[in-house]
Amino acid sequence: MPDDPNAPRPPEEYFAGELRVMNAHLPGSQKTLAGLLAESQPYVACRDDTPHLFRREELKLLAGFLDEQEQRLLRLPMLIEVGGGAPGETRLRCLGPVEEKVVARILEMPVACREGVITLYRPQLAKLRDSLETTTQYVFVFREPDGDQTP
Amino acid sequence: MPQLVKVRPTKIELIKLRRRLTLSKRIQKIVRDRLSILTMEFLRIAREIVAAKQKLLDGMASGFDALSVAAGSHGYLALEKELAGTGGDAGVDTGSRNVAGVRTPSFTLAEGGGAVPTFDLLETSSYLDQAAREWEGNLEAIVRLAELQRGLDVMGAEINRTKRIVNALEYLVIPELKATIKYLNMKFEERDREEKSRLKRVKVLLHQE
Repeated sequence: MPDDPNAPRPPEEYFAGELRVMNAHLPGSQKTLAGLLAESQPYVACRDDTPHLFRREELKLLAGFLDEQEQRLLRLPMLIEVGGGAPGETRLRCLGPVEEKVVARILEMPVACREGVITLYRPQLAKLRDSLETTTQYVFVFREPDGDQTP
Repeated sequence: MPQLVKVRPTKIELIKLRRRLTLSKRIQKIVRDRLSILTMEFLRIAREIVAAKQKLLDGMASGFDALSVAAGSHGYLALEKELAGTGGDAGVDTGSRNVAGVRTPSFTLAEGGGAVPTFDLLETSSYLDQAAREWEGNLEAIVRLAELQRGLDVMGAEINRTKRIVNALEYLVIPELKATIKYLNMKFEERDREEKSRLKRVKVLLHQE
């Protein structure tokens, strides 16, 4: 059968496009908790140019856990990787002990940050999202066979 | 019985199909992960809606109680006269939030956005102030409920869409690719067998000569 240049795209290409859409909401940059608390309407701009608004009560909750120095270190929104680990497992990207402290306080249990991630299981994730709905964001990770991950 | 993908029966196409199958399986995994996250978020919002509705109902009950006490104190006619033309605009800040790639609306009662009492404070009793305060508190609950309700609608629609993608991959794309790969493998094996028997036949003919 000859190749038809006008043939419809294979469905996989469509689904790969779907993956790009899935992560379009990621923040262009993260802001510190101290910076967000100083803003009148705290938000970050997403990659698709839409604003993501933070709930002030959540920022105040986080500020209650941390001292002023730590508030300048905590970058928001915190990113939760989905699809990068074992099934049913999600990973919170952790830049330092500040994220560890916050998650431990919310979950009311000690957590360990290994290789820059805190592993969370579904019940823990649900509890974390209950408390930090706007200050956490999901990242869908597409694992390549050689171990590279996009995005 | 799944349909076959229309491809030329060549080894190159077989390799391409195998790659497509691997890709499809990986996409299926991540879309399923997303579906489970969306479902979790949907249930969380549903739970919040139940709590918000209960809070609003309680608030409205106490608001009506306070209003009836105020009406008892002033009398209906006097209360109506006092409240006529006292309506104020409640400011609501709108925006959007993103939950797992789904844009949900965000409504917040603006600072000082609650109705400011515009009735005469000197002429009215504290019962009316109390009723006004109760209803101002309800405004926040109404705005929160509106935000959650719209979020639930959007999330439900996205879950349906994602489910269709998962089903398309699971019941259409992957079975088609698997069937085509199987068909091509069988075709190549058949071609090998034909080639072998043809060579044997040629060998026999050569011996006969």
